[in-house]
Amino acid sequence: MLKWWKSLGPDIKIAILLIGISGVLMLFYSVDVKQLFITNLALTIKILYLTVVAIAITTVIHFLVPVDFAEKYLKNNSLLYLFYATLLGTLTPGPVYAIYPIVLELRRKGVSNAILVAFLTGQTIIGPARAPFEIGFFGLKFYLFRILLALVMGPVAGLLYIAFSRLWPDIKEIKS
Amino acid sequence: MIKAVTMLKYFQSQLWRTLFLVGAGVLFAVTLSSLIRLEAVDVLQEKVALPLQIIYGELLGFISPGPRYIMYPILIKLQEFGVNMGVIIALISGHVLIEPSTFLVEAGFFGYRFPIKRFVVSLIVTFLAGMAAAALSGFVC
Repeated sequence: MLKWWKSLGPDIKIAILLIGISGVLMLFYSVDVKQLFITNLALTIKILYLTVVAIAITTVIHFLVPVDFAEKYLKNNSLLYLFYATLLGTLTPGPVYAIYPIVLELRRKGVSNAILVAFLTGQTIIGPARAPFEIGFFGLKFYLFRILLALVMGPVAGLLYIAFSRLWPDIKEIKS
Repeated sequence: MIKAVTMLKYFQSQLWRTLFLVGAGVLFAVTLSSLIRLEAVDVLQEKVALPLQIIYGELLGFISPGPRYIMYPILIKLQEFGVNMGVIIALISGHVLIEPSTFLVEAGFFGYRFPIKRFVVSLIVTFLAGMAAAALSGFVC
């Protein structure tokens, strides 16, 4: 059993845990499961359908955008690159775990932590795969507003990181 | 032609894993949203000031488990109940910016100072984004 559990990917483990927690909540709060499914059927179908669209968008980007795309454009550590890093982050598809190898590689190549924070902020806040969900549920205006917010939040996060690092430097910076 | 086949294979491999994860996430989210009561949201809106609601929203987002897409059913329910747009933006942004599992991963990769600082920075930028959304909610929706 333990061997089987270990062999599963992290996404499958999370899914199984979520199903387990849902079961516990349903039992603990005596949720009417039939009613719950009937009430949320349309929403569930819409989400699953939008997931298929999102995966299609992610697939196209995966094949169109080269692997070294982010690496190529983030080598410079100047402040203007905080914006570029955010923009590249918003265009990079995939879950955050999938981009850690890119982030690590960028760090090895000498990209500063502030740029990495801007990149991570942009990547996690918004992305192409979110478009069908947010436009479908909240409208185009909402999604455009979120893109705009993400493009502001990324550089601000990078600048704040620089400010904090002056007070509390990263360990590597202390050593150097 | 070969590229199209490769793309289709990749699409298929991603699709089933993601659908399973999203399906489980949706189950969790609809279960959780069925526990949200309109009266509780009303009390929260009446008794708690908006900036504090935004902070609650982002902290709730930070600790919420699961993939990005599971927030949507909860957000739709909250929007139906008339929750301020700033809180919705704080939840949607806070949910993905940093979470306990990524905190540990980042500490392993970059040292513990990196995720601590990123957490504080995320807290501030999400709050600012929430406040901006609250101020501009008339234009957003």
